[in-house]
Amino acid sequence: MDLVNRTDTPPIFDLKNVWHTYAGTPPIEALRGIDLQIYPGEYVAIIGANGSGKSTLARHLNALLLPSQGRVLAAGVPTEDTARRGELRRVVQMVFQQPDSQIVATTVEEDVAFGPENFGVPESEMPAHVQAALETVGMWDLRARPPHRLSAGQKQRVAIAGALALRPRALILDEATSMLDPAGRRAVVEVLRLFQAQGTTLVTITHEMEEAAEASRVVVLQRGQVVMDGDPHEIFSRVVELRSLDLDIPPLADLSMRLGLPVCLTVEELLAALGPAPASQTADVENTPCSPGPQPAPEKITDPVVTVQGLQHAYLRGTPLESPSLRGMDLQIARGDITGLIGPTGSGKSTLMQHLNGLIRPQAGRVVVDGEDWTDPALNVRQARKKVSLLFQQPEDQLFERYVGDDVAFGPRQLKLDPVEVRRRVKDAMHAVGLPFETFKDRLTQTLSGGEQRRAALAGLLAMEPSVLVADEPTAGLDPRGRAEVLAIFRKINQTGVTIIFGSHRMEDVLTLCERVVALHEGRVSRTGPVRAILGRPDVDLPVLPLVLAASRLCEAGWPIQVTALTVPEIAEAILKAGYQVAVHD
Amino acid sequence: MEDLELMRHITIGQYLPTGSAVHRLDPRTKLIGIGLLILSIITISSVGGLMALLVVIIGLVLLARVPLGFALGGLRPALPVLIIIAILQLLFGWGASADLVCPDLWSFWIFKITGCSILTVIAMLLRLVALILLTGMLTMTSTISELTHGIEKLLRPLQKIGFPSHELAMVFTIALRFVPTLAEELEKLLKAQVARGADIRLGANPIQRIRHFLPVLIPLFLTTLRRGELLIEAMEARGYTGSVGRSHYVQLQMTAKDGLALLLVFGLVVGLIFIPFIVLDAKFLLLLAQLTGQ
Repeated sequence: MDLVNRTDTPPIFDLKNVWHTYAGTPPIEALRGIDLQIYPGEYVAIIGANGSGKSTLARHLNALLLPSQGRVLAAGVPTEDTARRGELRRVVQMVFQQPDSQIVATTVEEDVAFGPENFGVPESEMPAHVQAALETVGMWDLRARPPHRLSAGQKQRVAIAGALALRPRALILDEATSMLDPAGRRAVVEVLRLFQAQGTTLVTITHEMEEAAEASRVVVLQRGQVVMDGDPHEIFSRVVELRSLDLDIPPLADLSMRLGLPVCLTVEELLAALGPAPASQTADVENTPCSPGPQPAPEKITDPVVTVQGLQHAYLRGTPLESPSLRGMDLQIARGDITGLIGPTGSGKSTLMQHLNGLIRPQAGRVVVDGEDWTDPALNVRQARKKVSLLFQQPEDQLFERYVGDDVAFGPRQLKLDPVEVRRRVKDAMHAVGLPFETFKDRLTQTLSGGEQRRAALAGLLAMEPSVLVADEPTAGLDPRGRAEVLAIFRKINQTGVTIIFGSHRMEDVLTLCERVVALHEGRVSRTGPVRAILGRPDVDLPVLPLVLAASRLCEAGWPIQVTALTVPEIAEAILKAGYQVAVHD
Repeated sequence: MEDLELMRHITIGQYLPTGSAVHRLDPRTKLIGIGLLILSIITISSVGGLMALLVVIIGLVLLARVPLGFALGGLRPALPVLIIIAILQLLFGWGASADLVCPDLWSFWIFKITGCSILTVIAMLLRLVALILLTGMLTMTSTISELTHGIEKLLRPLQKIGFPSHELAMVFTIALRFVPTLAEELEKLLKAQVARGADIRLGANPIQRIRHFLPVLIPLFLTTLRRGELLIEAMEARGYTGSVGRSHYVQLQMTAKDGLALLLVFGLVVGLIFIPFIVLDAKFLLLLAQLTGQ
């Protein structure tokens, strides 16, 4: 990556002692004296735990927020200068987190044209701008689509194209990839690389350490202050400090440090730092083929709690817009297991989940959950639904009551249990998710933090005391610490005998939590088996664990790494076994 | 429970890209043409005339290659109310006409069925079907964007006297843009409630239905408000400040085909209004009178 000559060019963003206080009781000091210069052509990642002030900082860069104290110069314009704000916004564009809340127009191409229209770009030039922007993000073919018929990843690419159509000097991304699946995320990261190569300044706010590692500079915020600022190699070598800030380091950085190497962020760097593979091991390489072996034989499940046979479903059935979602799905889930449900957006994950508690009844095929046959028209629906709970995506948007205790009690009250039993269940459920009953029962649901709201929603389901818990992306949008907490809660729930079906795009989470995996592809089950057997075999139709790719590259370079090595310690161990000597530094 | 798929019930913006000649017309042509046809629905009073109009409209729907059943989908939710109105109208013998002689067919206490009330009921149903087909055809052959641009363009002359035609079109666009999003949101909330043991039957009586919707409304309002805030922020960041200094990506172009289409519709409407179809109604009543021996 080219280093920017910081002495010649003036910074594109220049923040001097910036404070920002949100009014309220008590007032919240989101930024507390930020000094930051960002230079043209830089790619800056801003990381920090939830509530560290990242989004507030981003909104100061294009005058969506003004400092309570201090000043911000963006592209040479003071942000408080209202007369020149149009000039500023034209060159500093921003893409937000929620894909659905930033698309204004009713078709893709008109939305991309929205920015150029606002700035009065001549009508003769506009089509070329719009087409170039859409081609860059690979959405030109879908230009006539209405936004509600796009996936989240496609919507984010449209939003990026909308910014690009103005040919800005700087692009700010506020957690723009956090709602996307791995494929959507990869597509966005590719586009960003392209931008950077063209000299656009990029400022990205992210919870994903691997995305931050892509940047040329990492800025770490804690409670409204810059606590670290530097090259990603330098920043990610400060593991202890980062972990104390509830942050983490990318797995490759972790691996390289375990081997006593300087921090590596790409496989290429790691290979170079490791040097040639030890020659004495070449004989062994034959015995550890780098390509995964044959598929594991299907296992026999003796005590299935979920049985799905030939399940089919089409949305908008019987209308000209009918679209098939499940195309004959067969699967079984063992009682007491934690099963990961993986597959890209559109593979039928949420549709399948909704079948498991009867929110959607089978159009064809059979669904049996804990002895309740959802195909049976005489089924006691309420009885059946008690046995299986479904946690939706972003469940914090689905809290119905004013007070936390009441919201958790919503389910048990619907079951018409006696008050003593309701109270016991609410208490147990809140305890299980780490929200102590006495402290939290009278808190207003809307005043909880995002992570607490998510746990409260989970408690609401646990209070139903289901035998099967189905969760859709329960860790999405959380910072590293929030994710770890949620995973720990699921493990604890499982130990009480609850079968867990864990839908996720994050393969790291699936690997840590799950025993078995069911992989979906285009409405069918494409793979099923023990988690390691599935995740260790990268394939076109499966989301890939980033470390698996690294491991197979190392293997190809002659390092004898078994396909069973999936985690940082395992790969490190394999390399050490092969005779690599850890360099000792003082 | 399939009823929880709310998108099934939303026909706004259900654009059907069949690529017919009607689809390719300028949206202003379609707006004016359909406006004229709606005008004729109101103007034509005879059942004969309305039948002829309906034939014309069905012809247009077929020309647009829109399945008739799908275009009539909007009729279903209104059906119960419609039947009640039709029965009342039929029983009270409303719809006496000065030009026609109405044979009495049946009477009991205050109820009375006459030949004219039968005609009125048929006319009402014909008008309704015609109206639903026309509006359906408009939204199924033009995208929301085409419609809003068409309306904005048609109203643009009024901007000179201070009428906010751009802002109006913007509001219209955003409202329609978020209808599917809101429907998804509501569906999610209803499902979340059901998943937590609530018993929502969309078929239950209206009062129960409202009671079930109440707890969902608060989170729905909250998410909608939050979404609104985010949308404002995004629009601001993208440089939106109102109509001043804006240029337009979509350029509408009227062609000879549009002129031809407008002429055709105009001719049809004039024809339908001035051909004395009322003669048919009179013949029908005469037949009824003969049959009942009056």
